[in-house]
Formats: sequence, C-alpha cells, structure tokens
Amino acid sequence: MSAPTTSTSGPLRPPDDERRAAAGRAAGAGKATAAGPANRTARRVVGTKIPRGMRGPVAVSLLPGIILFGTFFLVPFFVLVATAFARWGGLDFAWIGLDNYRRMFDDPVFYKAFGNTLFYAAASMFIQVPLGVAVGMVLALRPRGWRTLRTIIFVPFVISGAAYAVIFSMFYNPRSGLLNNVVGALGLPGDRDWLFDTTTARWAVAATFVFIIGFVVVLVMAEIASIPSELYEAASVDGATTWQQLTRITLPLLRNVIGTAILVRLLVDIGMFDLVFILTAGGPDDATATLALYAYRAYLNGEWGYANAVGSVILALGLVLIVTVRRVFRIGERAL
Amino acid sequence: MKGTMRSAASGTAGLASVGRRPVWAYVLIYGFLGAVTLLALTPTVWVMLSSFKTGNQIFTGQGFWPSPFTVQGFVDAFTQIHLHEYLLNTLIYAGFGTLGALVAAFLAAYPLARFAFVGRNALVALFSLALALPLVGLATPVFFVVRELGLFDSRLGMVIFYSALQFPFTFIVLRAFLVSTPPELEEAAMMDGAGYFTTLFRVVLPLARPALATVAVVAFVNIWNEFFFANLLLVSQENQNVQLALAGFKSQFGFNVTGAVAGATVVMLVPICLFLVLQRQVISGLTAGAVK
Repeated sequence: MSAPTTSTSGPLRPPDDERRAAAGRAAGAGKATAAGPANRTARRVVGTKIPRGMRGPVAVSLLPGIILFGTFFLVPFFVLVATAFARWGGLDFAWIGLDNYRRMFDDPVFYKAFGNTLFYAAASMFIQVPLGVAVGMVLALRPRGWRTLRTIIFVPFVISGAAYAVIFSMFYNPRSGLLNNVVGALGLPGDRDWLFDTTTARWAVAATFVFIIGFVVVLVMAEIASIPSELYEAASVDGATTWQQLTRITLPLLRNVIGTAILVRLLVDIGMFDLVFILTAGGPDDATATLALYAYRAYLNGEWGYANAVGSVILALGLVLIVTVRRVFRIGERAL
Repeated sequence: MKGTMRSAASGTAGLASVGRRPVWAYVLIYGFLGAVTLLALTPTVWVMLSSFKTGNQIFTGQGFWPSPFTVQGFVDAFTQIHLHEYLLNTLIYAGFGTLGALVAAFLAAYPLARFAFVGRNALVALFSLALALPLVGLATPVFFVVRELGLFDSRLGMVIFYSALQFPFTFIVLRAFLVSTPPELEEAAMMDGAGYFTTLFRVVLPLARPALATVAVVAFVNIWNEFFFANLLLVSQENQNVQLALAGFKSQFGFNVTGAVAGATVVMLVPICLFLVLQRQVISGLTAGAVK
C-alpha cells in the first residue's frame, strides 16, 4: 500500500522526528493550533540564542530541574553502577569485582525471577496489547454507546497496583473468593488456591493485569481518528467490507502505536513489584517472584551491592527490550 | 504521533462508521465488548460491592450482592483503621509533589524549548531517558541517597522525591507543548523590556495552562497510586500513604475485614472520580506522555 500523506505531515520539511512528535504530543495535550504553521515557527525559534542579559535567569530557571534530576536519578545511577561491583551494606564496603554477577548467574532463584518477569512481559505483549488493539478498533467503529464503554474500560487503568492486589487476593481466596464460587457453581471443583498453587500462580497473577487495556484502547482510538477518511471512502467504493477495511487499512497503520503501547507496558512489567509483593510475596516457591522483588529481598538482607547488581540487570533488560521494540515496530519512523 | 483525543471525540474518524450493519455484526460487536468489560471489571465491582457487606457475608463468600446492606465497613475504616490519616498524607504527597514537579518542569521546559545553547540536546535526552527506564532498578541507591540527605521516613522527603519522580514526565509533555507554541507573544514582551521571569510567568504561564492542567492531573494520580518508593522510603505508620495502608489491609483481613474492604474502595474511588470528572485531561496527558 502506498504511503498516504496527511494534513500534519504534509507541510513538513525533511524528517525531524523529535519536533514532529513534539507537535503531535502537544496537540494531544489539548492544544488546538494547526500543526503545520506552528511547526514551522517552532523550527525557526528552537534555534534562537538566549537573548542578551538572560543567561543568568535561564540558568536559574534550569536549576531546580537539574537538582531534582541529578539528586534522585543521576547520583543513584552512578552509585548503582559503582556498587554493583562491591560488597556493600551501607557501612562495610569492599570491591569484589564481578562476584555479585557470578553469584547471580549461579542462583536458580534469579533465573526464576528473570523468567517470571519475561513471562509477565509476554502476557502483556501477546494478550493485553492485542486485546486492547481489538477493543480499540471495534470502539472506533463507533457502535452506539462507544463513549461510555471507552470510559468504563479505561477505569481499571487508574486503579493502583496495591488496590488490585487487595481486589484479587479477595477474588482468588480459595474459600470466600468469587472465582471459586463461580467455578463451583459451574459444577467444577471449586477449592483451588489459585495464587498459591505452583501450576496456576503465574497465570493467576498475569490475569490480574492483562485486562487493564484502557490505555492501549485510547492510544489506538486516537491513532485511528487520525487516519484520513479518504482511504476508507476509496475502499468502500471498491467494495471493501468493514472487516477488510479494518485488517487491510487500519491495522497496518497502527504499527507505530502498537509498538508504543508495548513499550509503555514492558516498562511496567520489567519493574513489576507492587502486585506480586502484596499478592504472593513471590510465592509459592518463587513461582511468581520478579526481578524487582528479587532485588528488593537482597536490599532487605543488607546486601546492597548485590541488590544493585540485580538492579543493573533490570535497567539493562529495560534498555534491551525497548531498543528491540523500537527497531521491530520502527518507532520514530513514521507509520503514515 | 498525530492522533489526539480531540479528533477522536469530535467525530472526524475516517472509518466508515455510520453505515448500517447486519444484526449479527451488532451481536458480535457487543458480545465482544461486553465480555471484555465483564472480565476487566467484575473483580473490582465485586470488591466495591463487598464494602457494603457484613464481615460474615464476606467470609462465607455467599452472594454477589450485599445482604444485609451495611455501611459499617466505612465507619470501621475511619474509626478503627484511621483511613483519614493515610488519606491526608497521600493528599500532601500528591498535592505538593505535583506542584513541585510542575514548577521545576515548567521552569526547565521553557528555556529548553525555546533557546539553543551548549548541552541543550543532551539535557533533554537525559531527562527523557528517565521516562524510558524501569526506575525500580534504582531502588537501593535511591534509598541510600534519600537517607544520606536526612530525608528518609519524612513527609518533606517524600514530597521532594515525588517531585523528582514526576519531573521527567511533566517536563517532556510541557516542553513538547511549548515547542509547538508560537513565540511571538513572548518575543514582544521581551522587546518591551520585560525580564525573563516576568515573561515566563505573565505571558507563557497563562498560555500553558491547559497543558499544565493535563500533566497535573496525571502526576497527581500517579503519586496517589505510588507504592514502590513509598514502601522503600517510609517506615513510620504516621507517614504512610494510602497504598501502604492498602497493603497493610491484607493483614487486617483477619480481624477487620469490613473496614479493610471499605477502605480499599475509598482509596480506589479517588482516582476513579478524578478520572471521570477530568477524563479528557487524564487521557490526553497519558497519551502525550507515552508517545515520547
């Protein structure tokens, strides 16, 4: 299919991803300017030198952000990198080279936590995101009541992980939980302890978040709204059915936004802690433990150097997956 | 990304949407949407309904609807669990944390959106990177830095830390907004001799109000729902936020289940209500933050 031109990409000169994306984002943030002209002005002004006599105020203006960022992100980052190669518990300190990493790669629990983290990430990628895309595409057909449905489906997204943990510890309760009541009412054995049975535990945890699709739905609907209607009109004239329009026109154009949804979700999954910590504390037999929880345990034991070595794996895993997804979905390049 | 909720809401979608469809198509559409909604919301609705149940009904798990209906749980949540203390703490963290993030981000976003100077791109890239990494990996060093600064287990420390935590997101959205805004008004003000901060607060701030409102709502909800760092940086019960209280509720199930369930409902309802009232802000803010 040939790449169509849209109103926003039309007046732009050669690719300047950042600014283009920026204009789109700002429009998303409630700005009503026509993207084209605004972009051109922005392009000119972004290159302006700081006016005479304003260097001082500009520096002062940047200071709070730099201090906050430096103190709570940059300094911790360097502390992490340095102490990952040390035995460190706050007071005692000794360089031990790669020992932390050796210990990590010898520990079966680390592999379990690593595997579980990837399992949750996969559940998001292959269940949550596709489901969200499907719902978004259906809602974009604007069946009666689509606004209300969009709102309702979005609600779980603003509920915290801790609240979800409370909800599902009740829901999965072997005696009084709704799930076993329903299962029992269907005539099946309704006494399984879903969260503390090694065969079901990981799935039970994943099932708590794979239906939190509101965010994906909203991203997808916004992207669909930006697809020029001529495409569909032309397709209708040629006799394409709604199904064909969805699969041949809409879906390919969603590549970018699907990648974005996966990115956002992977970030959450790689750092997954709240749900697992409160629901199962990683049990049974570490069947639900994540890397973040594994690092946290080391921290609680006073093995800060080891915790930081694990932390470095979490950060590296994040970086690797994010770079991969950006490549695969060609984010940064234009879908349209 | 060009997609905006504005266009999604204003009816400019291109997909042939209004055309008549056969009945089976409607059955399929609503069947699918209904099933997903049911799966996504049933546990939550069931727990919210349970906050109107008696302890006995909760323990036996009999019946979906409360019977008998009681608000004793909500009374217990405040009188026995002292939910209002946690709510107040969280309000302080979310309110001032949002304010701090907004001020720092606005002050940094303007020069980084408008002027070219050495290190500008590096600074923008650095701030953006924080939004693209799983920050829980930094847990132990964050704890270490916060403790060294004497900010461990303190309300002030939590406010400052949350300002920092929400800074990257707030900064990125605000800067993107400012980049797309024409600078003529500010230039005119500066020509007339207005100083940097006068221009910033008298000219730019009013223009940026919609963007500020958008990020403020999202930052507020994010801090309200934050558990990981609260768990890491707070120990005293008097400083805990509602999410820590929620985690504690699980252990309360044994002796005060009604209060715990009702408390959880109250804690959830705050961001839900905020979302229902400020739906457009929440959605556009989140969308804007994601598409980095």
